[in-house]
Amino acid sequence: MTKVSLNGEEVGVEMTKDEFEKIKELLDRDPTITELGGFEVMWSEHCSYKSSRPKLKLFEDAEVNYDYVLAGPGEDAGVIDIGDGYALAFRIESHNHPSAIEPYHGAATGIGGIIRDVLCMGVRPIALLDPLRFGRLAGNSHSKWLFKYVVKGIADYGNCTGIPTIGGEVEFDDSFENNCLVNVACIGLGTIEDFKRAPSRAYNPGDYIILMGGSTGRDGIHGVTFASRTLTEMSEADRPAVQIGDPFSKKMIIEATLEAVKTGFVRGLKDLGGGGLTCATSELTGDGNTGAKIELRKVFTAEPGMTSYEIMLSESQERMAFIVKPEGLENVLNVFRKYEVAHAVIGKTDDSKVLKVFDGEELVVNLPARALSESPIFKRQEKRPEYLDLLLTQPTPEPTISFKEIIEKLIASENICSKEWIYRQYDHEVGVRSVVKCGDGDSGVLRIIGTDKFLAASVGVNSKHCYLDPYQGAKGGLVEVCGNVIANGAKPMAMVNCCNFGNPEIPESFWYFSKAVEGMNDFCRTLRIPIVGGNVSFYNEDEATKTAIKATPQIMIVGIINGVKNIITLPFKESGNDILIVGETEAELGGSEYHSVIHGLEGGIPPKIDEEKIQARWNLLFELYQKKLIKANHVVKKGGFIISVAEMCFKNKLGVDMDLTGYNINKLRDDELLFSETVGRFIIETNSKDYDKILGLAEKFKVAVKKIGVLTSKPEINIKGLNQDVKLNINKMKEFYDSTIPDLMEI
Amino acid sequence: MTIKIAVIQFPGANCDLDAVHVLKNVVGVDTSLVWHNDFKESNFDGVILPGGFSFGDYLRAGIIAAHSPALDEARIMLKDGRPILGICNGFQILIEAEFLPGALLQNESLKFVCKWVNIKVINNRTAFTHRMKKDDVLAIPIAHGEGRYYTDNLKELEENDQIVFKYSTEDGSFNSEANPTGTLENIAGICNIEQTCLGLMPHPERASESILSPKQTTDGRIIFESMIEFIKRRLT
Amino acid sequence: MEQSEYKIEISLENKPAARDPVAETIKRDLLAKKGYDQVSKVRSGQYLRLILLADSEEHAKEIVTKMCNDLRIFNPVTQNLNIISVKKI
Repeated sequence: MTKVSLNGEEVGVEMTKDEFEKIKELLDRDPTITELGGFEVMWSEHCSYKSSRPKLKLFEDAEVNYDYVLAGPGEDAGVIDIGDGYALAFRIESHNHPSAIEPYHGAATGIGGIIRDVLCMGVRPIALLDPLRFGRLAGNSHSKWLFKYVVKGIADYGNCTGIPTIGGEVEFDDSFENNCLVNVACIGLGTIEDFKRAPSRAYNPGDYIILMGGSTGRDGIHGVTFASRTLTEMSEADRPAVQIGDPFSKKMIIEATLEAVKTGFVRGLKDLGGGGLTCATSELTGDGNTGAKIELRKVFTAEPGMTSYEIMLSESQERMAFIVKPEGLENVLNVFRKYEVAHAVIGKTDDSKVLKVFDGEELVVNLPARALSESPIFKRQEKRPEYLDLLLTQPTPEPTISFKEIIEKLIASENICSKEWIYRQYDHEVGVRSVVKCGDGDSGVLRIIGTDKFLAASVGVNSKHCYLDPYQGAKGGLVEVCGNVIANGAKPMAMVNCCNFGNPEIPESFWYFSKAVEGMNDFCRTLRIPIVGGNVSFYNEDEATKTAIKATPQIMIVGIINGVKNIITLPFKESGNDILIVGETEAELGGSEYHSVIHGLEGGIPPKIDEEKIQARWNLLFELYQKKLIKANHVVKKGGFIISVAEMCFKNKLGVDMDLTGYNINKLRDDELLFSETVGRFIIETNSKDYDKILGLAEKFKVAVKKIGVLTSKPEINIKGLNQDVKLNINKMKEFYDSTIPDLMEI
Repeated sequence: MTIKIAVIQFPGANCDLDAVHVLKNVVGVDTSLVWHNDFKESNFDGVILPGGFSFGDYLRAGIIAAHSPALDEARIMLKDGRPILGICNGFQILIEAEFLPGALLQNESLKFVCKWVNIKVINNRTAFTHRMKKDDVLAIPIAHGEGRYYTDNLKELEENDQIVFKYSTEDGSFNSEANPTGTLENIAGICNIEQTCLGLMPHPERASESILSPKQTTDGRIIFESMIEFIKRRLT
Repeated sequence: MEQSEYKIEISLENKPAARDPVAETIKRDLLAKKGYDQVSKVRSGQYLRLILLADSEEHAKEIVTKMCNDLRIFNPVTQNLNIISVKKI
C-alpha cells in the first residue's frame, strides 16, 4: 500500500509510487478517484501481467505458420480450425486465491469465468476440464475441506449449466496446503462461419454498447482506501469476500449470447471478469482502436445509490458487454427479451480513441482508451535456488519392504489412486458427445456430431518434477499431456497453459517461472505444437512460512481423431495378447511417488526430455495406429510402468505374465526400473501375430520397443526377470486403488 | 401422416438439444425445440420435458417450471391421452405440476451421481414401454442429485400398475447395491393411471446410440420408438 | 444462576451485498409472473430452531452466536447469522 496525494487528499493505493507518477504523466493531471481505481485494478499483476510479459514474449508468434490456428494469445480464447467446417475454441484460467478462502464459491465462479471467455468467441461451450492441487488429505481436515468443496463447486456449477466435465487432474502435496490451486479449462465448438462472424473488439465507431446479464452490485470491489464519501457506508461484515455465482443466469446468458451472435449484428463481445466494466470497456475500445461514451446511470444495479467508483469496479458475476451494429439493435434486444436476461444500452462507440464515462452530468473517467492496458513492465530478477544442488543428488535408499508391498502402497497412494470419487459428481455425459468416458482413457474424447471427427483433450503436469527442474518438468508436462491424447488415437493440435508460481518479486520464485516458460517454448517449437493461449497466476505463496507452491505450469492439449475406428482406449482387451512398452526407462526417480510415498524424499534426478526420441515414438505410434496394430494404450505416469500395467488390467479383470529379462539395458537397480517416472513411455496391447511386424517398424523409426509380458485371464500380475519374483493380485490391487479417497472423505 | 413431437425448452434445461438430436437424427421423427412460453399443444402429437436444471433447481427442482404456461398446454394433452415424457428434471416438473404423484427428494448420499445403471421393465403397457417385454433389463445412465422417489401411497401405485421401471442388477434382481440413490422400492420411473404420461430419472436420450454406450447397446431408443408407434396407432 | 429453557430461531442468509440467486429467481420468475408483483423484495436462507438451557435471553443469544461462529454453522465468507427471535419457554 503506497500513500499518494490525490487532488489534495492523501489516499492509499496498491501500486508503486513510480506507477502513480506514470499515470499522472499519461493524463497530464491527477486521475479522478474512479480512474485511479481503474488503474489500480488494470495494472495489478492479475490483469496486466506486468511481471510475466517480458518472459512470455518468447511465445510470440508461436502460433503463426500453422494455417489451422484462427486465434492466438491475446484473444479471449485460442481457436483452431479442425476441418469439416468446424472450429474449437479453448482456454485455461486460474482461480486460486478465491478458492483458498472459500472453496465452493471460488471454484464455482472460476468455472463461470472460463465459460464466459469461451462464449466471447461466439461458440457454444461443450466441455470443461479441471486440474487441481491440494495439500495431502490424510490427517488434514483443512485439505479435505478444500478438496470436498472445490469439487462440489465445480460439479454444481458445471452440472447446472449443462457443460460436461470430461477430464482433470489432481495432485496432493504439502506445498499446496495453504495455497490450493484451482485451474479451470473450457472448450467451445462452433462452425467456421460462426467464428468468422464472431465478435471481437469494438473496432467501429457508432455502435451501441449493451451491458447484459446479472446486476451490477457491490461485490468484489477491492483496495483503494479512500475517504468514506467514495465507498457507500457499508461494513466489511456486509460484503462477501468472494462472489456468489449463479449458474442458472449463466445458462440463460449462454443461450441468449449464442442466439444474439447468430443474428449477425454483434460486432464485439467481452465478458466482465476481473476489473469489471472498467476492464471490459477499455479492452474493447483500446484493442479496437476506438473510443466510447458510457452513461453509468443506465447501468442496472443490484442496489440503489451506488457510486460511479463502485459501478466501474464492481466484479459482480454473470455480466457480458456487447457491441452491436445500430441497424441490428432491436434484433439483439429481442433475443435478450426472449431469454429474459436483464440488459441496458449504456453507451456508444466513437472515433475519439478516448473512453469517457459520465455519471449524470459529471465526467468521472476521461482516459485514452489504451491507457489502462499500458501498464509498466517489470523486469524481474531470477536466481536458481541454492537448495537444488543438494536436493538433486539425494540418493535412493535400498527398499526395506518387498516389491509387492511397495506396489500395493503406491497404487493406494493419494496421487495414484482412483479419482472416481471426483468424477462421479460431474455430469460428464450431458450433450451426448462423450465417447470415451472418465476411466476409459488418458484423455476425454467427444464426438463432433455431423462429422466423423472426435476431439480429445487432457490437462496436467507433474509439480514434483517441476520443483526439481522446471525446464525439464514443463517439457515433461507437454510430453505427458500430448501422450494422453495420443494414447486415445488423437494428433495433438494446439496447447494452452496456466502458469502457477510463487511471488515474482523473489528471484528464486521467478526463476521457476522463467525456466518453465523456456521449456514450454523450446518443446512446442521443436515438436511443432502451436501455443494459442495462456494464463499466469503469481503470488501462490504462503505468507507465514514464505514457502512457494511447487512450480505448476499446467498444460492443456486438444487433439483430433479422424474416424471412430481410430479411437483407442486404455483397458486391456483380450487374454493372450502381448504387452509392449514403448520407450526406454532411465534412472529418474527424482520427484517420484516411489521416493515420496516409500522413502519420504522429495529429491533425486527428475526425468529429462529428448525431443528427437519423443517425436520418433509418436511417429511410430501413428504408424501402428494406421496399420490397426494397437488394441489398448496407456501413458506411463506416476509410480512407473507397473502402475500403468495394473490400471489397464482393472476394467476387464485380466492378468499379466510379465518377464522383464532383457528390458533393463541401462543396468538400473530393480526399484529404479519399476518405479522410475521417465517421461514419454507408453504401454500398448498388441496381437502376438503382429509382433515381428511391430518390431520391424520400431527399428525403422529407431524406437525402443520391448515385449514385457502376455495377458492372461487369471487376475494376477506375475513378474519375472528381477532379483525377486513378484506376484500381485489384481482384485486386491483394485480394492486398494478404489477405496483410498472414499475412505479419506468419509467425513 | 407426419407426426410432430415437441421438446419444451425451459429456462435452464440442458438436455433439450440432446433429446431433439435423438428424435430427429436417430429415431427420425419431426421434432421441434419449443421455447416454453411459445408452446402450443395443438401443434403436436406428443411432448417431451427434457432433463437439466430448469430455473437452476432453485427453491425445489422443477417447482418454478411447473408454473410455466407450457404445463397448462401440456395438461390439455394429458386429458386427451397424447403421450407426455418427462426425463430427469422433466420428471421433477411433472411431479411438481401434479401430472404424476409423489415426490423426488435429494439422493441419500447427498451427492450428485453420474453413472450407467440397469433398469428393469415392470410395466410394458404404457405408451413408452409397449415395445418392451416385462422383466427386460435396460442399460441407461443417470445423472442427478435429487432422484429419490417417495410416496405415501405405494399400494395405490402398485394396484394401478403405475410403477414402470425399477433399478436392478444386470440380471434383473433388486438389491440396495443396484439402487443408486436410495429411492423407494428401487423406483426409477412411474406413469399416470391412464398409462400415457411417463416420468423417469434415467436419460434414454444418452442411451440411444451404440457409440455412447459402454456395451454398445441402444436400449434408450425403444422408449422413443414406443412413443412414436403409440401415436401412430392413435391416429389411425 | 437458575437456568431455564429458551427457544431461539435463527436464519443463515447471504450477506446483504451478496447475490442471492435463489431469492432473485423466485421473485422474478415465480412471484412476479404469477400475479404477486406487490412483493418487492425476497431473501432466502436456512432456518434453524433451537431449544437450550441458558441464564437469560441475552445468554441464550450469546451461546448460539458463539456456537454458530465456532462450528462454522453459517459460512462467514458469504453469509450472516440473523437471530429472528428468542423466548423463554
